[in-house]
This record gives sequence, C-alpha cells and structure tokens, in this order.
Amino acid sequence: MTAHTLAAARPVTNGSVLRAWIASPLFLKIAAGAVLLLAWEVTVRALAPAYVAKPIAIARVFTTVISDPQFLAAAGATLGAVVSGLLISLVLGTAVGFAMGRIDPVERGLRYYVNSLFATPMVAILPLVTLWFGYSADARLAVVVFAAFFSIAVNACDGARSVPPEYLEVARSFRAPPRHNLFDIVFPSSLPYLLAGIRLAAGRALVGAVVAEFFISIPGLGYYILYNSRTFKHSEAFVAVIVLVAVGVSFEVLVNWLTRRYLPWARRD
Amino acid sequence: MGPETRRGRYGIVVASLIAGAAVWEAAGHVVSGAFWAPLSATLESFLETARSGFVVRQIMSSFQLYLTGLALAILAGAPFGLVLARLRWLRVALENYIMMLYATPMVALIPFILSIMGFGFAPKVLVVFLFAVFPVIYNTVEGARSIRPELVEIAYSFRTSEWRLWCDVLIPYTLPFTMTGIRQAIARGLVGMVAAEIFLSPSGLGQMIMMGSQNFDTPGLLAAILIIVLLGVGLMDFGRFLENRFAAWRGYNR
Repeated sequence: MTAHTLAAARPVTNGSVLRAWIASPLFLKIAAGAVLLLAWEVTVRALAPAYVAKPIAIARVFTTVISDPQFLAAAGATLGAVVSGLLISLVLGTAVGFAMGRIDPVERGLRYYVNSLFATPMVAILPLVTLWFGYSADARLAVVVFAAFFSIAVNACDGARSVPPEYLEVARSFRAPPRHNLFDIVFPSSLPYLLAGIRLAAGRALVGAVVAEFFISIPGLGYYILYNSRTFKHSEAFVAVIVLVAVGVSFEVLVNWLTRRYLPWARRD
Repeated sequence: MGPETRRGRYGIVVASLIAGAAVWEAAGHVVSGAFWAPLSATLESFLETARSGFVVRQIMSSFQLYLTGLALAILAGAPFGLVLARLRWLRVALENYIMMLYATPMVALIPFILSIMGFGFAPKVLVVFLFAVFPVIYNTVEGARSIRPELVEIAYSFRTSEWRLWCDVLIPYTLPFTMTGIRQAIARGLVGMVAAEIFLSPSGLGQMIMMGSQNFDTPGLLAAILIIVLLGVGLMDFGRFLENRFAAWRGYNR
C-alpha cells in the first residue's frame, strides 16, 4: 500500500504506477489468495463429487450459516470451553510451573509426569475422560484443560528458571518478602515464556475442544462439522472450519502482537 | 556435581516414580473398575497382548502410518520452504496463508477426509501429513526471513553459481529452523496418527484404545494409553535432540 502511494506522489507515467502497484506486497498477497481460491474451485469442479466444498458454494451459504442461531450457539459453546479451559490452565499451569522452576525437589518430583503428559496426544485420553466425566460438556472442558495445562506449566517452569540470579540476590539483600520475589521478579521476567506457552496452549486447546466434540457428540463447532459433513453439506460444515481458523489465527496474531509490543526484547518461538 | 548430590538428585526422581506407581496401583483398588485399573492389572494386560504378538502388530501398523505421513511432510515441506527462501516474491505472496494454515486446527478436516476418501490407508496418511507439513514449511520460511540480504548480495558480487548459493547460504541458514519445524511436526504428527486411527478406520494403537473403551476393558485401555505416552516421550526427546544438534548453526544476527 505504501509503495503504491509513494509511487503515486511522484510525477510519473501511468505505466510505472501500475508496475509499482503490481510489485507491492499487498497486491502479491491478494493475487496469491485469488489464485489459490481459483485453483481450489477448478480442481474440485473437475475431479471431486458435487457435494465437496468449493469457494463459491461456501460464499453462497456463508451469511445464512453465520446468522443461524444454532450455529452461533455451537460456536459460543466451543469458544466458551476453549477460553475457560485456557484460563483454568493458565492459573494452575503457572502455579505448578513456578513451583517447579523455583523449588528444586518439586521439579525433580514432577518432571517426568509433566514432561510425559505434555508429550501425550490429547486424543489418546478421550475415552478415559468420557469414562470419568460422561458424555458431557465437562468432558470437553477436561480435554481442553489437559491439552493446555502442560504446555503452560512447562513454559512457566522454563521461565521461572531463567530468572537472572542477580535480581534475586539484590531482592534478598534488601530483605524482600517471598511474595515480592514472586510477583515483582519471577512473574515479570518469565512473561515471555508464559506468552509462548499460551500461544502453544491456545492451538492445542482448540484442537482438544474439536476432538472432544467429535468423540462425545455434544453441540459445538466440531460436532457441527461432523454432523454436516455426514449429511454431505460440506459447504455449511466448512463455514465452521473458517470460524475455527479465524480463532486460531487471532490467538496467534494476538500473542505475537503482545510480545512485540510489550516484550520486544524477548521473542521466542 | 559430587556423587552425594547426584544420589540425592536420583533419590527424589526414583521416589516420585515409585510414589506415582503406588498411587496408580492404590487408585485401581479404591475406585470402581470401570474408571481406573491398578498398575499391576494394566501391565498384566499389556504382557498378555504382547505375548500373542498383538501389541507388536498394532505398533508396527501405527508406525507405518506415522512414518509415511511424516516423511511425506518433511520431503514436501522442507524443499518448498527453501524455494520460498530463494524466491522472495513468492514468499511475500504466500507467507500469510502459510501462517494461517499453520494455526488451523487440522483435526477439523477429518470429517471431510472421511466422507470424501472413505476408509483405508491413504486418508489416514493424509491426516498425518496435514498435521505435520505446515510446521515444517512455516519454520523453514521463518528461517528464510532471517537470511541477511547482504549475504546473498555478496555471493552475487562474487558471481556465485546458483548451486553454491543453495549449498553455502540458503540451506545452512534455514536448516536449524527446519529442524525446529520437524520437531513440532514429530509431535503434531503423533496427534494426527492417533486421531486418524480413532476417527477414520480403526487401526494400530488408536484401535487398541477404542477396543479397550468399548469392551469396558480398563486395563487394556490404560495399557494402550501408556504405550502412546511412552512413544510420545521418546519421539519428543528425539525431536529435541535433532533440533539441538543443528541449533549451533543458527546465526544470531538479526
């Protein structure tokens, strides 16, 4: 966009304005999007059965689906579970992670459990969770918490361990009480790690909510996709995928933006 | 680190593992058999299925699926990422879409894959591939962005050949980032594998989980989950090893 306006400001011929506009990043991105959508439309039309989702068909049903109260309720249920699961994991995960990072015996005692459950695909525990919580919304929340908790705990632990020891020494020489150590030193200096953990946890929580809905068939975006794709309404189902992608991308963008804006010295991936 | 402190270190770890095993065992005796099974019963169930060769068959089947999907993802993702490293305009055009697909919960596509491709090996490989490919591309592109343009310019001013440019600048600079992507792909691919085996046609370890839960065979269910946990830990350690092995190549100059 800036390339375009800069080029237009100079007294130039129409040809070079056009050339500057074509070379601008925004044009490239829009053109690439158009090419991808076109390729999708053409491939599906040429090769796949009629019910398979295509951009034009999706665009046609998009507004009706997005304003359908049933769809909105499903989206609200899934996102509500994701957000509340993330908040629960954030509080518990930070507490457990900080305890592990600052207190050595706790770290040694819990290390294997936290690391191995962090490495466990949450899909594998679905049947166990349904045994404990029944086929209910509680089971979905439990899967979301399981998916999100460990990545936050692992990152909080790394963050608490990376606190520069000089800070703690200074605090000790001023006889700072432990709660000041925690809230004024450990917490702020592990913020970049916590944000990285939240970013990872948000993606996993979204996947957790969707697989839980597939498995236990309770209203939500995952079940909406499952139900509509079973009845060959792929375009309708794909609208739910678009919403999920939008939510996933917003989390990603939000955390990246927060890191860049408030913690520009500590961007880690 | 002296021998005493080392012993103390291991002491707590061993004690915590023993305590975990004891809690698992005790919980199995206290709680109803439908909810939890003692560790002894779980291991017994594991040994029983191991003796008949069933476990080995299921693990091999899962591995075949996992490795095929992961290999395809790396073979497709890494070269594609490198091409984007070389062609700046293509990278600028596609990077937002790649980021979008990287953040997409791919599991949401499973019902579509099921109803279009049906049962069989190919749709399951596709699921593992979709889970694993975008971390590889995304991280390779991140690496490509970190290549300083001066390096390429200097290479040009010495009239470097295209081949040398790839070998000496592009690949060494992006490889550590690709390895980060592969580490993420190893973890995500495992989720994709289990999801494909549960939600598409049952096979491998996912089938063992489903059998355990449908037959109310809690020891069998826990045994299957335990295998997956151990597999996940092993694969994650391997991924970290790979990443650290190449981390030294990373340039700290941005």
